[in-house]
Amino acid sequence: MTVTIRKLDELLQPPAAAESGLNTQEYYVNMGPQHPISHGSLRFVARLDGETVKQVLPAPGYVHRGIEKMCEHLSYRQTIHLTDRMDYFSALMGNWAVSKTVEKAAGIEVSERAQYIRTIMAELQRVQSHVLWWAVLGMDLGAFTPFLYGFREREIISDIFEETIGARLTMNYVQPGGVMYDIYPDFAAKVKKVVAYLKPKIEEYDTLLSGNVILQERLRNIGVLSQEKALAFGCTGPVLRASGVPLDLRKVDPYGVYAKADFNVAIGSRGDSWDRYYVRIQEMRESLKIVEQLIDNIPEGAHTTTKPNVKVKLPEGVHYGQLETSRGILGVTIVSDGKEASPYRMHFRSPNYCNLWTITELAPGWRIADVIAILSSLDLVIPELDR
Amino acid sequence: MSNVDFADIRVSQQPIAGQTVPVAVVPRIRKQNYFAQIPSALQTLWSGMKLTIGYFLRPSRIVTRQYPENRATLKFPERYRASLRLEKDENGLYFCNGCRSCARACPNASLIVKTRKGLVTGKNELDAYVWRMDSCTFCNACVMACPTGALRMGPEFESAVYDRRLLIYTLNRHAGPTPDQMAKLDEEARKQVVLEKRGPYDGPVPLAGVAYPNIRPIGPPPSAQEDNA
Amino acid sequence: MHEIALRILLAAGAPPKTIAERAADALPSDPLLAAALIGGAMIGVLTFLTLLGLVLIYAERKISAHFQCRLGPMRVGPHGILQTVADTVKLLCKEDIVPTRGDQPMHLLAPFLSLGATVLVLLVIPYSPLLHVADMNIGVLYVTAISGFGVMGILLGGWSSNNKWALLGAMRSGAQIISYEISATLALLVVVLFAGTMSLRGIVESQEAGWWIWRAHGVGIVSFIVYLIASTAEINRTPFDIPEGESELTAGFHAEYSGLRFSFFFLAEFINMFVVAALASTLFLGGWMPFHIGRLAGFNQVMDLLPGGGWFFLKVSSIIFLLMWFRWTFPRLRVDQLMRLEWKILLPIGFVNLLVASFVVLYNFYPFPTEITLP
Repeated sequence: MTVTIRKLDELLQPPAAAESGLNTQEYYVNMGPQHPISHGSLRFVARLDGETVKQVLPAPGYVHRGIEKMCEHLSYRQTIHLTDRMDYFSALMGNWAVSKTVEKAAGIEVSERAQYIRTIMAELQRVQSHVLWWAVLGMDLGAFTPFLYGFREREIISDIFEETIGARLTMNYVQPGGVMYDIYPDFAAKVKKVVAYLKPKIEEYDTLLSGNVILQERLRNIGVLSQEKALAFGCTGPVLRASGVPLDLRKVDPYGVYAKADFNVAIGSRGDSWDRYYVRIQEMRESLKIVEQLIDNIPEGAHTTTKPNVKVKLPEGVHYGQLETSRGILGVTIVSDGKEASPYRMHFRSPNYCNLWTITELAPGWRIADVIAILSSLDLVIPELDR
Repeated sequence: MSNVDFADIRVSQQPIAGQTVPVAVVPRIRKQNYFAQIPSALQTLWSGMKLTIGYFLRPSRIVTRQYPENRATLKFPERYRASLRLEKDENGLYFCNGCRSCARACPNASLIVKTRKGLVTGKNELDAYVWRMDSCTFCNACVMACPTGALRMGPEFESAVYDRRLLIYTLNRHAGPTPDQMAKLDEEARKQVVLEKRGPYDGPVPLAGVAYPNIRPIGPPPSAQEDNA
Repeated sequence: MHEIALRILLAAGAPPKTIAERAADALPSDPLLAAALIGGAMIGVLTFLTLLGLVLIYAERKISAHFQCRLGPMRVGPHGILQTVADTVKLLCKEDIVPTRGDQPMHLLAPFLSLGATVLVLLVIPYSPLLHVADMNIGVLYVTAISGFGVMGILLGGWSSNNKWALLGAMRSGAQIISYEISATLALLVVVLFAGTMSLRGIVESQEAGWWIWRAHGVGIVSFIVYLIASTAEINRTPFDIPEGESELTAGFHAEYSGLRFSFFFLAEFINMFVVAALASTLFLGGWMPFHIGRLAGFNQVMDLLPGGGWFFLKVSSIIFLLMWFRWTFPRLRVDQLMRLEWKILLPIGFVNLLVASFVVLYNFYPFPTEITLP
């Protein structure tokens, strides 16, 4: 396998001489890394002709913290808290991805109760993540009120996490063997109240933003991503599903107790920004459906099957596990030499990284405001793509 | 009237990766002609406005809390992780016996456990338990790893300081035996046990160093003060 | 009390005069009084401007907070009343940064153009029967012309900042404002047709029998809506705040401004909002005329209890609230959608409206009389 390395300057073509009869000049503009599109610190170099974008190149790396390198000297249980800080809106799912991989490789059993708890928490977190995405999309497109409404809903869900887990953002909750703390007896009642609160709120979101003609015009037919292109880029998650490919790991390769829940995979038909938008709104509804079905049936049992002090050793070789986070498929590759209690190499397949590069294909030909709309609809979380 | 029929979510089965999954296809936006789009647009704008005015006219829907005016009534869940504390029994003895499981479990070496040989018991005893709050990620691994239940994460979140060195503090207020070790001693040995005081900044990581001009440390944070009492 | 003064003046045979007219009367005989009147009027307008800015910015923050389920400023003064004062003091104390490679004289001049245009329009608005600084017989034309002058400040500010984002914002704003001026003017012309005069005082007085928004049935309401939309675009407010596009261009044309001169731009935006609301109230909602229902004398007397200035204030406040309501509910339009809205939708509606209005006026299709003479 050969790898070609090119520099940013080589990738950006020089400004074209007068192309149209109007004698316009193309110019370069930096969007970010400090930018009000609050997805994180991501820099784009864009070549513009007036308002039209001719080329966009992302220059990521501003939030790189060397997480994968750090994992090389930590035990498997210690690497989990770092996944909280990658995609922090799907922190529990990141924890679960590593735990899953370690459990499969080391042959650790997980109790049914722990699987139920993990699934319910993950689905609540998915709703929370999509609510935040909706809020930020509203703000990017100029409607500032949805931002506050979205955060209000996030707080309600965070309160549940705070009670059981002890943290609101950086959970470190799902460990190999189960979960860190058992749930309280009133967990089911509280979650049911939250679900009953959230359902009409999603309808409100439809009234406030989805039904608004201005937003619809901003998103309709903008940035159409065809199925072939989406698969070629390696997109996963709602971006891929909006282009019509119903790939959802919760259905195709079920983990946890997803096989016991009855829900639909939301897909779009055209792959434009509107489809990416509405697929996530629909996913919120489906997640609430899953939670409702599972919340009353949590079986009794132990919440974990391993002791925290016992170090886990994986057999020699390459182990892979994957999971569907709110943004796509998070894959964890662990290379173990069989002797150490820490991985030789740990790699995270970040869904945001692959989704990011579609912008080079989607943006040219649209205006700046459309590029913002496309970026918002891709739902990127920069710390995960930089790791 | 709206451009999107939100109820139009078509459920069907579609094949993927060798299986069929139930899918829900999301609705599209209908394109309307020039004259129909105007009343439809106005109607959607008006429903959005009705929603926001509903929140405006109901001040009971305000969800923000006014901190620090509400400090007296703040309640936190039991497991909330905002600061680390060592647990004591009813006689004031720490459960920590200096086994260092927590320091081994900590992913970034935020715990430094200094032990010594107990003068009376002859066993390993805690001398100074240093917690580096400036590098702690509040992951709870130490609490989980402790075999004696000596550690707990508490909800005291007001730990902001003006000087970074003040974030490294010693969690124990005295150096002495654990309740188990105390129970194994007889009466006279128990009377000989002296609990040597430890201040919050006395640990192996000293506060000394180059003092910043014009910046005085403002004193230990409330959690440390509580242990002093 | 105002009305009593008005009736007394009218009984004495002296029609209400604007301050400019009084100064003009006093000039040949007592130039000192004339100078004092004009000086007083200037100081009054500037003070009014500052106070208005303080109140409007505080109102915006509180209203936006309540739309968003939160409380807004609460600390500085009871319920945050002094927050804007604190912000003003902060802005005044900030360093004034002028980009070295930008066009410095233009950079220094731009905020004054924006604010100047706003102040000039404030002079002709009839706030109450007695409080009117200057009235021109081409009032509406003057207002439209001077508002167009305000775009110069934005264009100069964006150009002289030597910043691509500022330039983008300024160019968008230029295109936006000159386009929407047309629709706004067409809507205002409808009222001019009905009132028969362009002078603002004349238009207010012509609404004694009823406000133009319903007296010009159908045409009036359409004009009012078109004027509202067009003037929201004129003052660069969401959903038309693409020039400022906070999430896209950070601050757009005023990105490179700080301190006092930024506060001029900021103030100009809020005072423009007041101006737009004042014009809408004056032309469509009756200005300082109270709300009368034709023959109900008792009701009309109750309505007269509130003086003209109070009625004007009420109407302007409700339109400002409406503008804020728009801002905190809608996302923003993209620049070409904005242009499409103006040229393909608002402009044809405006023309058709004007045509229908001219037929209504020509052939007297409505039962209410137009000319009203004061008793």
